This record gives sequence, C-alpha cells and structure tokens, in this order.
Amino acid sequence: MTEPERGGPRGSDPILSVRHLTVRAPNRTILDDVSLDFEDREVAAIIGPSGCGKTTLVRALNRMAEVAPGIRIEGSVRYRGEEIYDPAVNPVLVRQRIGMVFQRPVPFPMSIYENVAFGLRLQGIDEEELDRTVRRSLEQAGLWKELDGDVERSGLTLSGGQQQRLCIARALAVKPRILLMDEPAASLDPTATQRIEELIFDLRKEYAVILVTHNMQQAARVAERTAFFYQGRLIEYSDTHQLFENPREKLTESYVTGRFG
Amino acid sequence: MDEPHPPGDRSGPDRPPAFLGPPAPAAPAPPRRERSLGRWLGSPLALAPLLLLGIVVAVLAIASEGQNFGLSFWGPVWAFNPTDPAGSTYGIALFALGTAITAGAALLLASGLSLAISIALTVYLPPRTSRVLTTLTDLLAGIPSVVYGIWGFVVLAPYFASSLEPTLRNALGWLPGFGGPESAIGGGSGLLLGIFILTLMVIPLTTAVMRESLRSVPRELVEAGLALGATPWEVVRRVRLRVARRGLWGAVFLGFGRAVGESVALAMVLGNTVQFPPSLYGGSSTIASFIFTQLDSAFFYPELLRALVEFALVILILTIAFNLLGQRAVSEVRPRAVAGAGGRA
Amino acid sequence: MTAVVGAAEGPGDLQGSAARWRRRYAVDRIMRWGLPLALLVVLAPLFDMIYWIAVRALPTFTLATLTTDQVGLGGGLYAMIVGSFTLLGLATGFAAAVGIAAGMYTAEYAPPPVARWARVAGNLLAGIPAIVLGYFGYYALVLYTHWGYTTLAGGITLGVFMVPFIYRTADLAFANVPSEQREAALAMGARPGQYLTRVAWPIALPAILSGVFLAMAIGLGETAPLLYTAGWSSTPVAGLFQPTSFLTGAIWNFYDYPATEGSFQALAFQAAFLLLVLVIGLNVVVQAVAERYRRRTRGMRA
Repeated sequence: MTEPERGGPRGSDPILSVRHLTVRAPNRTILDDVSLDFEDREVAAIIGPSGCGKTTLVRALNRMAEVAPGIRIEGSVRYRGEEIYDPAVNPVLVRQRIGMVFQRPVPFPMSIYENVAFGLRLQGIDEEELDRTVRRSLEQAGLWKELDGDVERSGLTLSGGQQQRLCIARALAVKPRILLMDEPAASLDPTATQRIEELIFDLRKEYAVILVTHNMQQAARVAERTAFFYQGRLIEYSDTHQLFENPREKLTESYVTGRFG
Repeated sequence: MDEPHPPGDRSGPDRPPAFLGPPAPAAPAPPRRERSLGRWLGSPLALAPLLLLGIVVAVLAIASEGQNFGLSFWGPVWAFNPTDPAGSTYGIALFALGTAITAGAALLLASGLSLAISIALTVYLPPRTSRVLTTLTDLLAGIPSVVYGIWGFVVLAPYFASSLEPTLRNALGWLPGFGGPESAIGGGSGLLLGIFILTLMVIPLTTAVMRESLRSVPRELVEAGLALGATPWEVVRRVRLRVARRGLWGAVFLGFGRAVGESVALAMVLGNTVQFPPSLYGGSSTIASFIFTQLDSAFFYPELLRALVEFALVILILTIAFNLLGQRAVSEVRPRAVAGAGGRA
Repeated sequence: MTAVVGAAEGPGDLQGSAARWRRRYAVDRIMRWGLPLALLVVLAPLFDMIYWIAVRALPTFTLATLTTDQVGLGGGLYAMIVGSFTLLGLATGFAAAVGIAAGMYTAEYAPPPVARWARVAGNLLAGIPAIVLGYFGYYALVLYTHWGYTTLAGGITLGVFMVPFIYRTADLAFANVPSEQREAALAMGARPGQYLTRVAWPIALPAILSGVFLAMAIGLGETAPLLYTAGWSSTPVAGLFQPTSFLTGAIWNFYDYPATEGSFQALAFQAAFLLLVLVIGLNVVVQAVAERYRRRTRGMRA
C-alpha cells in the first residue's frame, strides 16, 4: 500500500498532510486509502484518467466533498498539524483557509467588485480594507489592468478566461494558504489557458497550489510534484520530472506515455 | 462523464408540479418539409386552449350585455338588501375590500412560510426527509376546497370564537384590526378564519414554485459560495435568493391569482356578510365568494345576474394579469437550471 | 475584526474564536433548526383536518353509506357518488380528448410562435377561477340553451376546467421524448405520423396518464363549476339532460346544518372523508405513474 512518505521527505513540515483518506459514495468507493503530503509554496498536480477520484480528492481537502449527499469520509487530513475532520472544526473555517477554484468559471450574478468582496463581506471587513483587498486580489489574478478599473460591471460580462481569473481573485481575496484548482482551464481556449497557467506559476510564490488536470503537459509545465491516481488509488507521487520521465510504476508509465486514459 | 444531467436529477422528488409554468420547449422545431395533413389539421387544435379562453371571455362579455359595464365601484353598497336585490345598486367596493384583505394577508403569510419551507427542503433537510415532506406539501394542493371549508366551519370556527379570537383581542387589541367590538367575534366565521384557511390553500402552490426556483439555482454557484467560506445560510441569503429572485416573485404572483379566485372555502368560513368589517373577527365577502353564494338567486333577478358577471370579469382580469406576471417570472427558472447542471469528473 | 483573516499562524488557525464568527455560525444554526418549523406550521393543520374529518365521518360510515340514496335527513351517498363519477367521466372524456390532442400538436407540429402562445393560453386557462367558469357554464349552458341544470352542462364545464391540466402534461410529455428517438425513427424512414403513433406515443403515455389522473383528482374536488350547472337531485342521475348531485355538492349543501338535526352534517363529513380518500388515492397513483415514467426516460437518455 501507499507509504506516507512516498514523495520523499521534504525539508519543512508539510502544509497539508493526508493519511489513509477513504471516500465512499453510496454504491462505490471513490478514494481508497490515500496518503500524501503537500508542501507550502509549491504547485502539486493531480493527474489520472476520468473517474480516478482526483476531483473527489481535492474536494475532500477543504471539506467540499461532504456537500454532496451520501458521501462518507474516513481518514485524516491535517492542515498545518490541525485535523480538518476534527468534529470541533467547522468546515466553513476550513474553506476560508483552503480556497477552491472550479472547473467552470462561475461568477456570481453581481458586479466584479461584489464577486471579489463576497467572502470578505461575510467576515465583516471594513470598506477601506475591502477596497484594498479587492484591488490586490484582482491584481494578483492579472485582471486589474484589463478591467481598467471598471469593477462595477457584472462579472458575467467578462470572457470565459477572465471569468475564471475573477473566480481565482475571488478565492484569493479571503486570503487562503492553499488554493485547490479543479481543472481550472478545462473550459477555456488555448490563450486563456496559457494565462491561467502563468498565473498558477506566479501564485506559487505565496500559496500552496493543488491542481487537478487531465492535461499532462499542463502538469509538466506548472507543477513541481505530480501525483498519479488510478481507480481511486494513489499510484505514484513524486517530482514532476521523475514521474513523467522515469516513473517507478508500470501503470504510471503506460498512462504518461498515452497508452490508456 | 460529461453528459448533461436530466433537468431535475439532483435532489428530491423531481416531478415538476404540473402547475409550474410553461415547460422549457425541449423539442426542436420539426424539419421544414414535414407538411403532413396532421400539421395543418393540428394548428387550430394547438390553439384549443386559446380558443377555450376566448370563448369563456366572450360569453362573460356577452352576458354583461354591454350596457351595465360601468361598474359602480363606490356605489352605496351599504344600501344593499340581500332579500330584495332587484333594483339595488351593486357596488363592488366592499367585496373588493374583502378580497384585498383575505388575499393580501394570506399571500403575506403564505409567502413567508413557503420561503421558509422551500429553504428547509432544498438546503437544510436530508434528501430522504425532504422527499417525504415534499410529497406531503404537494398533497395539500390536492385537498378539495369544500373539505377545507367544512373543517374550517365545523372544527375551527368554534375554537376561533371561544378562545383564539378573545385571546388575540385582549393581547393585540391595540393593533388595527385586532381590536374592535366584542360582538364582531360571533360564531368564529370571519376574516381571520378566512385568512387562515386561504393561507393553507395557497401554500402548496407558492411552496412548489419557490422550491423549484431554489432548486434550479446552479449547484456550482452554491458550491462556489461554500468554498469561499460562507455558511449555508449565507449562501442562501447572498446567492440562492438572489439568483432565484424572479422565480420567487413569480410564486407570489401565481399565489395571488389563486387566492383572488378562491370562492367555495371562503363562502363557508367568511360569514358572507356585506359590511365594512369592524375588525379581523368580523364577517366579510369576497368578489368570488359573493358570486358563489348569490348565483342561485340571480336567476330571478336579471340585474343581479349582470352585476355578478361584472364581478366575474373583474376577478378574471385580475387572475389573468397576475398569472401572466407570474408566468413571465417563472418561465426563466427551468432553462437556467439545465444550463447549470454541468457534469464533473 | 481582521484577526480572522490571513494573519493567524500555526495551530488554532481552524478554531475561529472571533465574536463575528460565532455570530455567523449561530445564525446558521438558528436557520437550520428554525426554518423546518414552518413545515410543522403547515402540516399540523393538514393532520388536524384529516383527523377531524375521520372522527366525524367514520362512526356512522358503513357500507350502506356508499350504497343507499339520501332519504329525508339521512341516508347514504349513493346518488352523489354516481353523480360525481358520471360528471367526472364526461369531463375527463372531453378534457382528455381536447387536452391530449392539443398538447400533442403543440409539442410536435405547431410552429414555435403558435406553440408559445398556446402554452401561455393553457396556463391562463388553468388560472381561471373555478367560480368564473361556473358562471360561464351557468350562462352559456344552463340559461342560454334553456337546458336548465343538466349533468351534461356540469360535465362540459368541469371538462373545460380540467383541459389545461391535461394539456400541459401532454405537451410536456411529447416535448420530453428524447430527440434521438425522433431522429432514429425518421432516419429509418418512418413518416412523422408513424413516428408519433409508434414511437412518441408509447413513450409519452405514462406521463400523459399521470396528467389525466391529476386532472381527475382536481376535478373530483371542485364545487364551483358544478353547483350552478349540474344542479342537484336526491336520486341518482337519470340522464344527460337531468340534474344530478355530486360529492362536493353534498358538503356545500349540508355543512351548516346543526350536528343534531338528522344526519345531514354527518352526510357532509362522510362525503368529505370519501373525497379525501379518493383524492389522496389518485395522487398516489399519479406519483407511481410519474415514477415509472421517470425511470423509463432516464434509462433512454443514459
């Protein structure tokens, strides 16, 4: 079975460490005894064929998996040493620390400003701080210049790629430490995809990014480390270069060389 | 993996209530060359609903005989003598007041309760519980008006008269409508009981429309809200209610149309008095309930018959107006629901 | 205020001790437990109603209630049951013929603008208050025709009332037939008429049936379209041009008799009980049929 240290021990404490995580739906096991660590200020990619459980994994990392009915979760996920599945921990706070960007860009039907301010308003941030954070988040997402300061128009008027970056800005505004991204470029054209990839590359300076992708080139371009999942199991987790160029497992090799999936 | 979910595939019982707005026209237009006999024969058939609607309106318009259409809205209705209606002036004001009070208050109560129920059903209750309770609330819609009426008159009215209304009068007498003379309480039939019954009768409709509107909020928007650290309630308030706004208003309009048209149950519990109600405990009549109780004597008094047809036209126009408003709002609910149900890996 | 955001380092990050967080969490709890109470407010009266109607009806409810005529101040519901089902039969025949045909043509043949208007009209027709239709029936079918109160007038008026409910489900049922089915049938050389009768009709039938049952459940409970069209008679319906009694009419006619005077009020409660049983039964059938239909079309799309 998967060793906890499969990716090799790292210098510092991991920001997120997953142990024996099992996720079950009513009629099947989606994730089976997964253990791995994620480091701060790194991009980790999760790859694998459709239905391998990669989306479920990231959703289990900020307690979004339990939003769907009938999902049962066992095992442990520690965020900087704290168990996020501790009954005393509220999922809402976990999600503030561990942000998420979805496959399809989903701006709320409100202004760009209100989209970014959404999470902050919940926390009762004062207006001045709000303005500053909204602006900084839009800058981080590379959207501020393109908007030319016009943040009052509806978020739905933006192009697909811009909408997705708006969603990233929205997630950054709540100041998470970790950003989970579930196929953030899946519905975008190549140019918009490239912008998102550049953005992910930059985000690494401040955040831990966990990126689910079915695009192996994308994983190779942006991620330091890559985990390969197959049928709900973690098959291999190592440096991206090693995983693509010199995989330890046969299964990984046949996947990255395109023999299935 | 990426096939679109069938529209209602997500949670709860997904039979769309039959009265929920026009269906999304899912079928593509048939190819141009299909000029079969059926198509030509069919066009007037497709218009059967329009035709029936037209016939009903035309008959009512003919029945009013054109001559008396200037309604005496503020006519001296208090001179009205039920035992000798011929020759009296039939003002609609008091009946319109009865309709406004009962339908308005019932809608206010029903909207609040329905909103609470639909949020509980779509957000907070576990799916299985939600399914059972949805069936039960839908069942309320099927219960005949007369059954509500007899229950209200025989079971509730004595209770209203003996304990609820005196208690309310003592406790809330300072509120307009809740005070008034003690004699107004009478046998329990009256506005308060009418409002109570009408609220129960409207709730299934408003609940079904509100529930489907909330359910059609794209799941991704809800999840995006949760992922930003919002509590489920904050997602309701800031995302769901906002996105479903039009459908929720549609529910209120459709409910109002239903409340304005209710006749039988109100005729049984409202006391059928023609008076300016001294308080909420006093008797009243609505436009619809008055038609219902007077139509049999109208046979002998052509003038009453004409007055009643104008009453009928007034509520017909009101219900058509509110139904059009409601439909416009609700028709936007379903297509968006489909667009929002994208697949995920 | 900003303590919750970002700055916190190390363990305790997930504890959320700030006062604001406690308030947000408390509001969510209140809603989680408070909102379902509204269901109680609505369902308690439902059960109270069913309870009281059963209590008032059952002690005197025997087989004779169903099989004997109303005699003087007592007797049974036989005439009303026969009348109700005769009226319902006439109405369903009329409404199903018009509603299904119109629904089929709206979904399959009508050009989009016609279909749109037809749907709007259907919904408006459904919104017409029953008493307005009652007046319509009274004026057009009782007075104008000089028929007087007749079973036929009652059946037609009730039928007009039921048309939109059947029409809408029929429209939806045909529109919901997966378009692949149509394409496959036409690709195999079926004429549109053949596609309708051999492919679309069998697929849509369960949904249409559930619409018909639903309309019957609604029609069975109506009073206002019937009182001034079908009239009243204490003997079973004698012909289409004779007046007839019906179950809802029994409630309306007898509900305000004092409970002591004969058994008129008991008769009203027995009719109410019978109506509840029939309406709930029909609703169960509707649910079952709809469930079956859902499974069928779902399998087809997968």
